[in-house]
Amino acid sequence: MVPGPFGIDPLLWALLRLLIAVVLALFVILNGALLLIYLERKIQATMQDRIGPYHVGPFGLLQTLADALKLIAKEDVRAGETERAFFIAAPALVFSPMLASFVVLPFAPPLTGIDINIGLLYLTTLGSMGVLGIVIAGWASNNKYALMGGLRSAGQLVSYEVPQILSLVTAVLVVGTLSLVEITEAQPGPLTNIFVIPLAFVTYFIAALAETNRTPFDLPEAESELVAGYLTEYSGMRWGTMLALTEYGNVTVVCAIMSTVWFGGWNGPGVEAFPVIGVVWFTLKTYAFILAFMWIRATLPRMRIDQLMSFCWKVLIPVTLLNLGVTAALLIAYTGDLRPVAAANWILLGAFFLGLPALQQRRLRRLRERLRARTLGATGVAG
Amino acid sequence: MLDVLEPLLFALLAVMLLGSGLVVVLADRITTSALFMAFAFLNMAGMFVLLGAETIAAFQVLIYVGAITVLILYGVMFTPQGARPYGLFFQRQTPVGALVAALAALPTVAVAFAFRDSPSPLPRGGDLSGLDASIFTDFAFPFEVASVLLLAAMVGAIALVKRQE
Repeated sequence: MVPGPFGIDPLLWALLRLLIAVVLALFVILNGALLLIYLERKIQATMQDRIGPYHVGPFGLLQTLADALKLIAKEDVRAGETERAFFIAAPALVFSPMLASFVVLPFAPPLTGIDINIGLLYLTTLGSMGVLGIVIAGWASNNKYALMGGLRSAGQLVSYEVPQILSLVTAVLVVGTLSLVEITEAQPGPLTNIFVIPLAFVTYFIAALAETNRTPFDLPEAESELVAGYLTEYSGMRWGTMLALTEYGNVTVVCAIMSTVWFGGWNGPGVEAFPVIGVVWFTLKTYAFILAFMWIRATLPRMRIDQLMSFCWKVLIPVTLLNLGVTAALLIAYTGDLRPVAAANWILLGAFFLGLPALQQRRLRRLRERLRARTLGATGVAG
Repeated sequence: MLDVLEPLLFALLAVMLLGSGLVVVLADRITTSALFMAFAFLNMAGMFVLLGAETIAAFQVLIYVGAITVLILYGVMFTPQGARPYGLFFQRQTPVGALVAALAALPTVAVAFAFRDSPSPLPRGGDLSGLDASIFTDFAFPFEVASVLLLAAMVGAIALVKRQE
């Protein structure tokens, strides 16, 4: 137990620390969500040649604040046929694992909640807990669209967890530790992990897009098919907690993982002299990935559910498994030398990018052949 | 200070674990049971943390809460749930069930009390480096046996529910 400052009783200090940590994390998440929603709208507007929010405050900066106030002030509506306890519990079940993730994120050397030696495992564990809340939300709503959305989401999240974890395992093999602080410290120079294991990064990026329900994988909320998926029956701040806070919080967490594991986290110029500057580098790196997520959302269409599943099980998981096997073998064969791993990873990355269009073309060719055969057969019967 | 806090936390976790276990068995709706099973797993993970086995706790949550419970709920939601008497399931075999449970519980309790004064099983802090060595060397065989057992259970379940054609 940590002794408290100013002679505070250790037991009291433990409780105080918990309180301070939760309040700080909530502060970061709430403000982050406000900022990210504003950024999302503004960036999409710019990319689609619109202006975006501009009425409330300078540059429309206070628009999301006004929206949030509206959500909080909204009447708490619950349909009569929903399962009361589960319906109320679901947003909390989705939100609290995300909140707990922030405790291990290494913002800067002096700004790390706690450095546990299984940090990465802890984050994946919390990431997998959110699925439960989504399934419960879908079921408790007593609405077929919500149920379909919840089940779809469960299938998608459980599937994409596999390539996500396999990519992380590849990175862990290279670094040799699960502690986020040690992973950051292992990449001090400009030669970060992205140059060693780029393929693992690409597969993690794709899986992370799916894990956070972002386009092109936002099937659970496909409004043209499922109204709003598992969110159909939710409104007011419950909806706000589940969608706005949790989605953007999760996006922040996966982007923080990416910047920590592959891009050196807090490392950057000036960190040696002033360790607090690390938080600037960490935030910049994280927000760069968040902006990439938003860019993808503004440009790509949504996938179909069968394409989504077959892409995960037929492409992503074999690729990550192969990458993991090759990396492990090379690490054992050439102990202490990362150059063979890097070479193999870059070659595999090239094969991945070249192989995908080839696979797609073969699939399309077969589809066309089948269609032609069917039309020929049909005309033959008619004639 | 830790001496006060740890038994308190243990008591809290134990009460919640046993309580949610009871709800799993007694609840009249299978979704409620599944949810409280997840809660029981979470409490179990808390106990692992108290024992200093954070890695096991993390795997417990990752596998049982994040995957197994979700799969069970998935299965439950795909099966029709009409207005059938749920209670009957457990009531018919109550005497036999109680006897079997008692037969299993008594030795467990006896063994548990034999460990009363033994020291903490693992050093505090994470146990990752100890765990990997033991799971791939000393306990590789029990680990495989357990997975074969799971396979046998799965085959048995399929054989039980397969319709005669």
